[in-house]
Amino acid sequence: MRGVRPAKRWWLLVGLVAVLALSACGGDEEEAAPPPPAAETAAADTGGAAAEPAPAPEPAPAEGPQPGGDVVIARVADSTSMDKTSVFDNESIWVFQQVMESLFAVTPDGKDVQPWLAESYELSDDQLTYTIRLRQGVLFHNGQEMTSADVKFSIDEASAVTGGWEWINAAIKSIETPDDYTVVITTKYPWAPLLADLALFNNGIIPNGYAGQTKEEFYEAPIGTGPFVWDHWTKGQDLKLVKNGSYWQEGKPYLDSVTWTVVGDDNTRILQLKGGQIHVNEFPPFSSIDDLTNTPGVVMTLFPSTRTDYLLFNHNKKPLDDVHVRRAISLALDRQAMVDSILFGHGEVAKSFMPPQVPYYDANSPGLQFDLEAAKAEMAQSSVPDGFEIEYLAEAGDVTYEAIAAIVQDSLKPLGIEVTIKKLDPTTQFQEVQKLNYEMSHSYWTMDIADPDELVTFAIDPDSGAHSFFTDYRNEEAIKATKAAQATFDPAERQALYSEVQRIAAEDAFMVFLYHSPYRYAYSDKVQGFVVYPTGNYHMEDVWLQQ
Amino acid sequence: MDRLAYVARRLLHMVPVVLGVTILAFFLIHLIPGDPARTLLGIRATDQAVAALHERWGLDKPLPEQYGLFMKRLAQGDLGDSLFYRRPARELIVERMPATLWLLGFGTILSILIAVPLAMLAAMKKNSLRDQAVRAIPLVGLGMPQFWVGIMLILLFGLKLGWFPVGGYGHGFGGHLRSMFLPSLTVALAISPILIRSLRASMLQVLESDYVATARSKGIPEWRVLTRHALRNAVVSTVIVLGVNIGFLVGNSLVIEIVYALPGVGSLMLGAIFNRDFSVVQGVALVYGLLVVFIYLATDVVHSLLDPRVKLD
Repeated sequence: MRGVRPAKRWWLLVGLVAVLALSACGGDEEEAAPPPPAAETAAADTGGAAAEPAPAPEPAPAEGPQPGGDVVIARVADSTSMDKTSVFDNESIWVFQQVMESLFAVTPDGKDVQPWLAESYELSDDQLTYTIRLRQGVLFHNGQEMTSADVKFSIDEASAVTGGWEWINAAIKSIETPDDYTVVITTKYPWAPLLADLALFNNGIIPNGYAGQTKEEFYEAPIGTGPFVWDHWTKGQDLKLVKNGSYWQEGKPYLDSVTWTVVGDDNTRILQLKGGQIHVNEFPPFSSIDDLTNTPGVVMTLFPSTRTDYLLFNHNKKPLDDVHVRRAISLALDRQAMVDSILFGHGEVAKSFMPPQVPYYDANSPGLQFDLEAAKAEMAQSSVPDGFEIEYLAEAGDVTYEAIAAIVQDSLKPLGIEVTIKKLDPTTQFQEVQKLNYEMSHSYWTMDIADPDELVTFAIDPDSGAHSFFTDYRNEEAIKATKAAQATFDPAERQALYSEVQRIAAEDAFMVFLYHSPYRYAYSDKVQGFVVYPTGNYHMEDVWLQQ
Repeated sequence: MDRLAYVARRLLHMVPVVLGVTILAFFLIHLIPGDPARTLLGIRATDQAVAALHERWGLDKPLPEQYGLFMKRLAQGDLGDSLFYRRPARELIVERMPATLWLLGFGTILSILIAVPLAMLAAMKKNSLRDQAVRAIPLVGLGMPQFWVGIMLILLFGLKLGWFPVGGYGHGFGGHLRSMFLPSLTVALAISPILIRSLRASMLQVLESDYVATARSKGIPEWRVLTRHALRNAVVSTVIVLGVNIGFLVGNSLVIEIVYALPGVGSLMLGAIFNRDFSVVQGVALVYGLLVVFIYLATDVVHSLLDPRVKLD
């Protein structure tokens, strides 16, 4: 008898499962059923919007912003931590910027900063002291008013960490608080990028003493003055912020909540957007841009970014120390062909190592462009006129990076340069580059602040810790101009210095400036006011949902 | 009693296996190049900052010493802190476990629901048209990569018909059931071809045996012969096949988790490997190892329950 019973149980189980499966098909009313396919949601009037560089032609709403609504943004990876002082991934940064705000904020064109939690500022004649007046009546999410003590605590906290963004505050000598609404910041030396530095998220303002919590507890559910208040974070699944009802910008935010989900697969994110399950798809692949542009109900926008891709030369490896060799390689690469094949045409060839969205970018920078005859002439003048063999270190497993490697390999053949491609997983490739353990490789940059110094020092000053963008490039003239620009406050003079740096860098071809690519966002045409700044961040308090 | 003793013995045998898993998990991830400090600090990492993190994480110590520490903590049930999430790896894994278990459990159930009727259908009339049709399923099923099947199911049932959410895990039991149906179906479509083949073959064998002929001659209806007499005996070997495949699936659930945006252990593992988040990788490898060992143990026990002739020793 004992043998029969399991079989009975077996069928019981099957029956039970069948019932469950059926109920699954029937659907659960509590759970938001996917809205009808996007095609039915009458969006023809937007024309699907254009995949042209922003400002995107937003569909003209009949009336002003409507309050309410919950927006869901899907991105490739999860946030890692909300600790603003020492987090480096954008998935975290773009979220906590909705919670914690800084004294200054980057302007929408990415080229300047404007007072945000600050109301105004004054610079002393010796250019060492900034007296900043704070906005009054700004409340933290716990109801407490923001004062100068909070500001001092926050910036000091950001300066005190190790292994985070503390270097951005390296010029700050001291912070004083003569009264509740005045902060006096003194710098160690005249430092032009200070306001841009204060606008960085690491200098976001939080309550003095972490509002009585420990640092760890505080960043589990951070408090700030921002438009959205911490709700919950289920790691690997979703992170939700809800409306701050007492936000200092009256009438904002419009949305009831914003939720960020993690959808690693590019195709799934696209399908979720089409199915109405999410409102914003962060970074659809370049290959899908045309399809999304033609999808009714979906707005596909390419926001100008500061992302610039480069080919790196290790100047310690012969013959890459020879400027003619570097120029020859730089001239032999057809950047437009790269933009067309890798970015599907949605990018811009680079003429400078600085992106056009950075202040003091020089549109006339003489960055080398594709010219095979000129490349051959440079090779003839070089130490290796008959060519040479070289190893190119590529990031494995990424279509874009592998395509760049293949194009480089192919393009350099006419010069007699035999490129062997060595593929390593991205983490290892990046570390080999950082250790200058490579000959040629690939990297890219995006700006965090609205001041060119962050990039220029990183790329030009070999003693800044980054070995001139891991190339060990050293040009004393360029270094001198870089340092002078840090202490120059007059915009015209600063422009002259940065134009000089860009010219020298281009002539030296210290790396190959490949292309600038945009931030790609596809979103429902119900989402209004969604704008991504060149620094990559967005202001969710300006976003509203058409009901 | 025999069975209990057997389980106890098998659990004891697991100790060296688990020890082996810890050694592999620890040294493999440490031996591949890549430094979590540099990954975390990104492009602006300075040597001082990297060194500071190494010290904080204990990565400046020799590897055997680090392994010793890892084992010492493990003995206390501590997998260490995730370097990236700055939280205990155990908590992260426990949070992610339900989605993966749902996928395995629901997927197994669906694959049985698909395989058993089809195999019976095929076995009832050998070489008939429907037998040929069912036999073609494994060929097609095994030829389709899971990520593709997943996308196709999403396109059809998620987007066109709108019956199921397009990815995600859902909230609450009903939400999970609805959200996990397509991912589990993808799993089921991958396993059931193997089950169908195995079950059909053993059904055919059983249907030719004497006791089935006896049952038929006694006038027992054919469906009863099939379910009561044939299936029960045929299912025994299929249980083994199923067990092996679930074990295999544990490692493969990753692809499905990514395609369906499920917050499972697989997707946690993938991110952890890329970031060289050592504690999480070690923890997940350990959990996967244990899961597979337990599934094999459970398979053997179920096997013995179904077939009294199986001796557990």
